[in-house]
Amino acid sequence: MKHWPLAVIGFLFIAAWPLMVQDVFLQRVGALVLLAAISASAWNLLGGYAGQVSVGHAVYFGAGAYASLVVYTELGWPPIAGAPIGVLVSMGISALVGTPTFRLRGHYFSMATIAAAELFRILAANWPLLGAAVGLMGPPVPRGFWDLSFLSPVPYHYLFLGVLIVLLALIWQMQRSRMGFYLAAIRGGDRAARSLGVPVLRYKLYALLLSAGFTSLAGSLYAVMVGFIDPDSALGIVISVKLLIIAALGGAGTLFGPLIGAMILIPLEETTNAMFGGGGTGITFIIYGAIILLVARFQPGGVAAFWDKLTTRRVRHVP
Amino acid sequence: MFLEARDIVKAFGAFKAVDGAELDVNEGEIVGLIGPNGAGKSTFFNCLSGDAEPTDGTIHFLGRDVTALSPEAHARLGMARTFQVPVTFEDMTVVQNVMVGAFLRHPHRIGAMRKAEEILEFTGLAHLAGSPAKSLGTPGRKRLEIARALATEPRLLLLDEALAGLTPGEVRLAIELVRRIKGLGITIVIVEHIMEVILSLAERAVVFHQGKVIASGAPRAVVDDPAVVAAYLGHHMKRVRM
Repeated sequence: MKHWPLAVIGFLFIAAWPLMVQDVFLQRVGALVLLAAISASAWNLLGGYAGQVSVGHAVYFGAGAYASLVVYTELGWPPIAGAPIGVLVSMGISALVGTPTFRLRGHYFSMATIAAAELFRILAANWPLLGAAVGLMGPPVPRGFWDLSFLSPVPYHYLFLGVLIVLLALIWQMQRSRMGFYLAAIRGGDRAARSLGVPVLRYKLYALLLSAGFTSLAGSLYAVMVGFIDPDSALGIVISVKLLIIAALGGAGTLFGPLIGAMILIPLEETTNAMFGGGGTGITFIIYGAIILLVARFQPGGVAAFWDKLTTRRVRHVP
Repeated sequence: MFLEARDIVKAFGAFKAVDGAELDVNEGEIVGLIGPNGAGKSTFFNCLSGDAEPTDGTIHFLGRDVTALSPEAHARLGMARTFQVPVTFEDMTVVQNVMVGAFLRHPHRIGAMRKAEEILEFTGLAHLAGSPAKSLGTPGRKRLEIARALATEPRLLLLDEALAGLTPGEVRLAIELVRRIKGLGITIVIVEHIMEVILSLAERAVVFHQGKVIASGAPRAVVDDPAVVAAYLGHHMKRVRM
């Protein structure tokens, strides 16, 4: 990979961020960027590498978020203990949703994922165990270290950075292995892939299981940091769309695409929210819409492909 | 029998695209499937490769009933195919395309890479290994599809109009490649409508017409068969020509 030096500089910058800025708002934005990068990288496993565009990943994010806070409200455990439960639940849901929907192609698949996600949002909004429409709260005051409840965003920043690095290392390994090639083949075309012996359904399911598991972990981390969730903030369609936009903006199906996308979108979003207050959420949607339009029209490969084009303009292959 | 298809019927609603076709292939031979457009060759071919399940009839490959098996199971058993319109993986380079095929028998990256390089050498694509697949033209794509199929180490290779759309010079190169593939001991079934290709390559030609096999035998003899001439030119045509 030719971008390694750039990637190292990028990571050093991210690691140093909370030390460079003293402002809590900016530190918080840094942690949120990393959390978004984790979620979008998880989405990227299925939506980018395997080319199966899910618009229902909020289900897995929500499962992780709810699992964390339910183990606290029901059992009094530290929220992070719910993370493995969320991962298992997400994998269960993904097997349930994936098996029938993977037989659908293109837009039909995406639409089916939206429907499945909305189903779970409505379920959560009506289930007292999950706090129904009101939502759930984490521990109001930290009872010990494992509640991972900190006033400063800085510990979260490094926790998320660690998770992101592990996730990206795993994806990098996957990308180079048989699974990476098979997922790319599936993205290139089911029919050709199958003719070469790729068990398409099985590999789509593997990608979904991994993707759902890591999205759920991101949801748990979100709940641990924010300490409050409701059906819209943890399971809303906005989350599904956000993951998709971040990955597509940075470059779907590339290792660093989701991180790049998060570094652009999250600061933009947080700034508009801060500037316009509650009315700012509307601006966020306008930004999402504009990004979808621009990426789809001008650079379907996202920023990563754009950068590739800039740096390799002179190299031309003449067959 | 190496490959044996019996009483194959493939119906789309009331229309039978293939209507009781038969085919026997011996190990090591090159069999050409010919016939006018719409004769059912491609549909029959898709039944052989597992892309379409026949409505009726059975297909045995290496003594196993493969009639209802998936395309990926066909690949595992040693049957590989190319497509009429090439479907190369556009985001990948040439060597990566071939590696996808190679991963079937070589689960590790290094092994798959070696196999892919060997195949690229064999098919004359080695100098394009690092080029994006989308930079290739039609002849390159067709060749890449053959390379990718060969990387699965098949015993039977099904070529669906692998030579269509090529210039006469490219056709000669492709014929030479197919001969070398046969030299590896791989059996080949080729669908083609260029007569010249069948005459110079196939040891046996099987002629399709309206979903049925109307003639089978040495390509020369088959081409002169009155039933075949009628199928291609039509009865009226014959009268006009006389």
